[in-house]
Amino acid sequence: MNIINSLMFGYYITLGCFLEVWCQGLFFLFFDVMILGNMIILAIETSCDETSASVLKAGSKKLELLSNVVSSQINIHAVYGGVVPEVAARQHVHNILPVIDEALKTAKIKPAKIDLLAVVPGPGLITSLMVGVETAKSLSFAWQKPLLEVNHMYGHIAGNFLQPIVFPAICLVVSGGHTEIVHLKNYQTYKKIGQTVDDASGEAYDKVAKLLNLGYPGGPKVSAEADKFTLLSKEGVGGGLPRIKLPRPMLNSGDFNFSFSGLKTAVLYATQKMTKKELLERTPEICFEFQEATIEVLTKKTLTAAKQFKAKTILMAGGVAANKRLREQLREMSEANGFAFSVPEFKLCTDNAAMIAIASYYLSQNKKTPLDNWQKIKVDPNWELA
Amino acid sequence: MGASLVYKVHKEIMKIISNSEKQTFKIANEFAKKLSGGEVLCLLGDLGAGKTAFIKGLASGLGVKNIITSPTFVLMKVYEGKNKIILSHIDAYRLDSGAELQYIGADEYLNDSNCITAIEWADRVKDIWPKNKILIKFKILEGNKREINIT
Repeated sequence: MNIINSLMFGYYITLGCFLEVWCQGLFFLFFDVMILGNMIILAIETSCDETSASVLKAGSKKLELLSNVVSSQINIHAVYGGVVPEVAARQHVHNILPVIDEALKTAKIKPAKIDLLAVVPGPGLITSLMVGVETAKSLSFAWQKPLLEVNHMYGHIAGNFLQPIVFPAICLVVSGGHTEIVHLKNYQTYKKIGQTVDDASGEAYDKVAKLLNLGYPGGPKVSAEADKFTLLSKEGVGGGLPRIKLPRPMLNSGDFNFSFSGLKTAVLYATQKMTKKELLERTPEICFEFQEATIEVLTKKTLTAAKQFKAKTILMAGGVAANKRLREQLREMSEANGFAFSVPEFKLCTDNAAMIAIASYYLSQNKKTPLDNWQKIKVDPNWELA
Repeated sequence: MGASLVYKVHKEIMKIISNSEKQTFKIANEFAKKLSGGEVLCLLGDLGAGKTAFIKGLASGLGVKNIITSPTFVLMKVYEGKNKIILSHIDAYRLDSGAELQYIGADEYLNDSNCITAIEWADRVKDIWPKNKILIKFKILEGNKREINIT
């Protein structure tokens, strides 16, 4: 009797396994059909001072961006030396519908053809985020299309996912509000392993630009000054190695954290001793050394993380990834150490909805987004990556 | 709090000389223990004057475990400390008036007796300073030295 029972038990297990495999096969078949059926995504991004909408077509083999419309407010805010929340919100309200309209028109997609909507509830400026989120929720309800929430920082990382990535990967995420190192096991599974303990690197650029009276936004201004110093060195008139020496904060801290507040203060000390004339003359030199210090800490820590986590690829993301010198240095260092390297093209580095569309595609592969998901989505200005 | 600190308590003005970033952190850490909730701290001072170090010390003194990062980008960050005390850290650098703080929902924290609000660049939002505010002025002296005035 016992033997018969065991045999029966074995039989059920075999049948169970068979059924499971069969079901999986069916699932994959369904999965393929879904992808082959060209999933169309409309994404909206309004986390700071860019109003953006993008349409993505996810085919069986590749992701294709059909449109990526970005309306920037940078000239409006430059007068204030930064983004003004109330002005930004009003501009978003003014721009959002025309931007979505244009994204759909450029992509030649009618709302009925959309399979998924995506939006950013955070992190970002609360007044700006609200415009995007409320618009997306209304569209989700009116069009009866599911709406998926995407973290803005994950969106930046996903800017790299238009091409296939070899995992595991380490991503350096650098922007005006964030400086983080993220370890990715695959497209959807990631963990933040380090971050700034005070200011973001982009913010340090802004503050140094302010100390040196260079204006806003600080990133491009400081970089341009640093380039002048490089050029002077090449021409042999002055330049050479900077005489001023700035610290490399937390370079040997043994973790993957950063600190940029002290670096800005070091710039302040360096300028305090200078006369106005001297400060003006040596601004390119100060910017050069500041940029070198920032880049050295960012690249070296990323490389150490990649080695420690046995990564195959080093990724870069965020607005500061548009910094040419940082891109070049990290690429060189990655490739010299045998890592594949990826950084999105310039227009996918700064805030844009295309990266959100790509991110939502990968997130939607994990589980189905219910049609009433919009009811759950709330603005969360401090939504940190886990 | 260290022999090198100079206290001159005259009426309600407290003048402290800090010799380093670490010391500024410690001063704020001690200062936090005197707060009971509902206070609004208005921080004034130039770039590099020690506001970041002060807020970090303040948060540590209130029992906040999170890493305190700059709120410049999102304007306000809220943390939970021990004994249900909340720290609301605001950066008013990009604001033109206190009315704009209402747009970001800061009111909720300004009127909460469990919340300590710390506003950096507070001179930009003078119109919402409450009567019982605590003014904390940072002045850069030579080198690492800072003068901190608490009134």
